[in-house]
Amino acid sequence: MTREIEQKLRAEARNLLEKGKVDRVIGYGAGSLRFATTPLIISDKGDADRLVVNPFIHNNLSVFLPDLCGKVAIVAKVCDARSIISLVQNKQIAREDVFIIGVPCSGIIDLAKVQKLTGLDRDEIGDMSWKGDKVAVTFAGGSKEFSAGEVLADSCLGCDCSGFQEFDLVIGEIKPLAGGKDLSRNKIQEMEAMSPAQRWEFWKNEFSRCIRCYACRQICPVCFCERCFVEETEPLWVSPLPKWQDNLIFQAVRMMHVAGRCTDCGECERACPANIPLGILTGKMEDIVEELFQYRAGMDKDAPPLMAAYQPEEAENLMR
Amino acid sequence: MKKIKKQNAARLLEKWQKEFTVFVPSKASGVAQMAVWDGQDLAFLEHNRNTVIPPKANFLPSIQKMFGFRKEEGGYVLEPTDEDPPKQLLFGIHPCDARAIAIIDMVFKDAYEDRYYLSRRQNTVLVGTACTSPYDNCFCTSLGFGPADATDVDIMLTDIGDSFLIEEITDRGKEVLAGAKDVMAATAADEKKARAVKESAKARVSTKIDTDEIGKRLPLVFDDRKFWEEISAKCVSCGICTFLCPTCYCFDINDEMLRDGSGARYRNWDCCSFAVYTKMPAENPREDKWRRVRQKVYHKYAFYPELFGIIGCTGCGRCIRQCPVNWDITQTLNSLPAGTPTKKQETQKSS
Repeated sequence: MTREIEQKLRAEARNLLEKGKVDRVIGYGAGSLRFATTPLIISDKGDADRLVVNPFIHNNLSVFLPDLCGKVAIVAKVCDARSIISLVQNKQIAREDVFIIGVPCSGIIDLAKVQKLTGLDRDEIGDMSWKGDKVAVTFAGGSKEFSAGEVLADSCLGCDCSGFQEFDLVIGEIKPLAGGKDLSRNKIQEMEAMSPAQRWEFWKNEFSRCIRCYACRQICPVCFCERCFVEETEPLWVSPLPKWQDNLIFQAVRMMHVAGRCTDCGECERACPANIPLGILTGKMEDIVEELFQYRAGMDKDAPPLMAAYQPEEAENLMR
Repeated sequence: MKKIKKQNAARLLEKWQKEFTVFVPSKASGVAQMAVWDGQDLAFLEHNRNTVIPPKANFLPSIQKMFGFRKEEGGYVLEPTDEDPPKQLLFGIHPCDARAIAIIDMVFKDAYEDRYYLSRRQNTVLVGTACTSPYDNCFCTSLGFGPADATDVDIMLTDIGDSFLIEEITDRGKEVLAGAKDVMAATAADEKKARAVKESAKARVSTKIDTDEIGKRLPLVFDDRKFWEEISAKCVSCGICTFLCPTCYCFDINDEMLRDGSGARYRNWDCCSFAVYTKMPAENPREDKWRRVRQKVYHKYAFYPELFGIIGCTGCGRCIRQCPVNWDITQTLNSLPAGTPTKKQETQKSS
């Protein structure tokens, strides 16, 4: 199945480049690590055979779009495609410059979850693949099967791909995932059950590990500010020293800034080398945005950006 | 050589705890790093793979107070930091990370005497363990040493089953081991076992680079913009590869000041991948991403050899494993174009 999709994708990519319909194709190439893929940006049709599709195509490739000139075809899962539309909504890219190739996604297998469940590191795992609706993991001396709920990334468990209409081409069939919104909100519910003091303690502990590598910001497609507030020095908004308080402020403000643009794609949490569960924040934020504004980022390219558009009849007179 | 039974290793750590703050590889904080031993956890005796945060953090902490200051009439009064440098013992450091400290020494101890670094460095004992489970993308054996190399530690331990074989490498190592009750003389059979363990560890390092060829090619490809643009296209310019690199030492300096003019000056980690790197004092000479990626490769593989006669990379693999886009320095190094010498280079060669 995956193999067939891969072949079709390669043919389409080759065709798009050959006919000059696009200048570049952004997709996934084979990674150098086990169970990894790597972003692949090609402009030569001869490189189309390097494109791959497998359960580890985790990167949200739309992060590369604003920096690429010309017409670009991009391989996208639904969550990534929503980020692309979010970029269009926020005028970071023009819709006509992007050709969105949708690929089916059974959810991204969260390597961190598999490592935790098996007690094994990435290179100690023999194989990992879908077996019906289960994920079979083999390793030296055994194998185990896990349900999607156990091993899919939280953001994938909450995936709602219905109603997305913006693909220019779909390879294969895009179907809803077997997860369930409830499963994806487990950590958020745990957090909501805590007292404010407990929650404060929790985040204090988490943000104590932050090293301010800014991978969360850099990997994020909708963190597109040319100059981030943490880099402002006059006045200084946040100390550049990685103290937990400033780390928390950095992340809290970042989250506020991407509210209404973030699609909860999960890349910030996945990129974090310090294992800070940022998905709790992006997931909760998406819920709040939906509840308060009935708004889902990246669903409608013509919808004005949530936080950057003002209507004269709005109740708030901040802008008047 | 000596040895100690694994079951007695905790007692050795307890002995050291009396004199030192003992750091061990730990995941207790939520990320693998050297952490103060809690006196209980001994998991690292059995399973010890490279930590995510490298042990350089014990020498170049991510927040280093340099001095305090307060405003008085006519100017500022500086208050030297009175923080006693911790007397620390790092247990379970791997040869790659110990080599990294030796590499940083060349900059912070030999080329320039950095007192913040030296005060920690001189108060530290390194107890290494042979790395018996290198990651699949480790490549230390391509860099002139290996996962069991004892050159850069004070004491080296090798797991030989129920015991650790102990090699005392430096006088400092001998000193801190003196009087340890459970340490026994090793037998010839123990030493033979240790040799076999070391050999098999070495054989498990499967990723390779050819440093001779890299050394030849790098001077020829500096201006190959197309190559560097292609190589760097997928880099997102985050700080992971440099912050987690055991030899990267760049720092930024920041003051924290209260309204009354008192405060403190700190050093924190900085990163040449950041677009704003060195923008505070002047300009970043490397505005383009490809120049920044090239800099990282050249700093390790060209400038370090030129300045210090050693490659500034230890093959620990962190920059590859932790990279959010799987940018892999070994792929870059293994795909350097053969290049053609520029006229200037040819003239230099013949003269």
